[in-house]
Amino acid sequence: MFKLDELTNSVADGQVDKAAELTRKAMAAKVPAKKILNEGLLPAMNRVGSDFEGGQIFLPELLMAGDAMKASIELLRPELSRKGAGYAGRYVIGTVEGDLHDIGKNIVILMLQGNGWEVTDLGTDVPPQRFCDEIKRGSYDVLGLSALLTFTMPKMPETINILKKAGLRDKIKIMVGGVPVNQSFADQIGADAYGRDAVEAVVKAKELLNK
Amino acid sequence: MQKLTNLERIMKAVHRQEPDVVPTFEIDIDERVINALKPGASYEDFIEYMDIDAVCYHETRTDRYEVLDKAKRIVRDQWGAIKQYSGVSFSIPMLLEPALKSKEDLKKYKLPDPGWPERFKRIKEAVKRFKGKRAIIATTRPFATMRDSLRGQDDLFKDMIRDPEFVDSLNELLSDYYRRLVKNLIDAGVDIILETADIAFTNGPMVALKHQSRFIFPPLKEMVDYCHRRGIPCLKHTDGNIWALLDLIVEAGFDGVHPIDPVAGMDIGEAKEKYGDKICIMGNVDCGNLLSWGSKEEVRAAVKDCIRKAGKGGGYICMSGNSIHGAVSPANYAEMIRAIKEYGRYPLRLN
Repeated sequence: MFKLDELTNSVADGQVDKAAELTRKAMAAKVPAKKILNEGLLPAMNRVGSDFEGGQIFLPELLMAGDAMKASIELLRPELSRKGAGYAGRYVIGTVEGDLHDIGKNIVILMLQGNGWEVTDLGTDVPPQRFCDEIKRGSYDVLGLSALLTFTMPKMPETINILKKAGLRDKIKIMVGGVPVNQSFADQIGADAYGRDAVEAVVKAKELLNK
Repeated sequence: MQKLTNLERIMKAVHRQEPDVVPTFEIDIDERVINALKPGASYEDFIEYMDIDAVCYHETRTDRYEVLDKAKRIVRDQWGAIKQYSGVSFSIPMLLEPALKSKEDLKKYKLPDPGWPERFKRIKEAVKRFKGKRAIIATTRPFATMRDSLRGQDDLFKDMIRDPEFVDSLNELLSDYYRRLVKNLIDAGVDIILETADIAFTNGPMVALKHQSRFIFPPLKEMVDYCHRRGIPCLKHTDGNIWALLDLIVEAGFDGVHPIDPVAGMDIGEAKEKYGDKICIMGNVDCGNLLSWGSKEEVRAAVKDCIRKAGKGGGYICMSGNSIHGAVSPANYAEMIRAIKEYGRYPLRLN
């Protein structure tokens, strides 16, 4: 039986080439792609996420692990059926208008992808109407709004209001996050959840789908 | 105690002595705040009008930019990076594309001119106007330049693991530039150098301590040593939770540390207690929620609290937790300065 621990370790250690090689070997040994994702990659990203939150590793190590995970997922992608086991849901995310910061958002994306989410990244400086148009166009489960600057925070309620006016508010769960954001701000603007960090964002996103 | 000049007040605090009043200045003050409090005033006029103890010239504000697309506000900075000004409001453009996309680009890379005369024009005017009266401070940010303009954050951080020698080469290149820039700034009459590259996030250091020690601190120590040889204090700013970095900051020889970031949960009383005998403590008045949306009473209470915790015996400069950005309520900033002058008079009587 093919052991996936080595793949988990190579992804967690950010060894991009080794992760790709072990993924190829696992696929050649007929290990199902979903099993490789669930038992090889997800434990790696969960370990990396918790080590990052705990201060045992830092952004460089997290980014390298993300690259290793992406290299493996790219190989698995053709085999992974969209709504099969291990598939969490569709997430659209962006940094609100006026704010060009993306470090926190990109960490959240890495963690979501590593946990089976299909993520559409709208980038930074995203106007409220752009979020609305994308949600109208695609079928998403969760919207994530990120901000680093205090003075761009009002773009979050503005986006929620535009979704309300377009009749889309009840069709999607909305999460907010970023340094100046907190739970009381999330409650005040009518968001469904606040993610304090990337690990919590993944937990909360999953909880929202179960509600 | 007899009244000190603004410069003496700052210098006493930087050298961890007790001035007449707790001093104050800011790394940056947004034009909207200036215009609301003193319509039409220049930055320098505003500093005098509010009796702020130092003028501070931010490196990126005096950089050279070439406009590439006026409508989209896209520019090329002096390092060769493509940047964009935000649609809503932000005075420093954000990175779209770094100058060095690969190691190969380094071979043909040419450093900008650290003696570009335009940069020094405003500083020289400030020297004429304020020298000997208010402190003239200039900021530098070598690691931020590497993380931003030169290489971009994600690639730089990955380089630290996959190609550390490349990062060493970038450091060598930048050290050459910053050595000359700092020399030029001091020659022009600057009283204090403030290094402003963030090296921490809200939850802790940006990169592991082994990477901080290899890539970040050696060029900083070189800068501090040079300033000290010239008789100039050197201060360090970094956002984020820096408990794990404060020993390195002290060991590098910095004279002051800003802002003991309240958003990252840093307690200024604890910082004063543990490091107040080694380094001047600066900042900690929250410019996120408090200065933007708090009441005047809350601002006064926060200033009083900071001075009570960090002002004892001097060695404290009361400043915001980052800068006076565009969302700060002008009335709250004015209140902050009033409160510093009121509560910050030595001997402190705050209990």
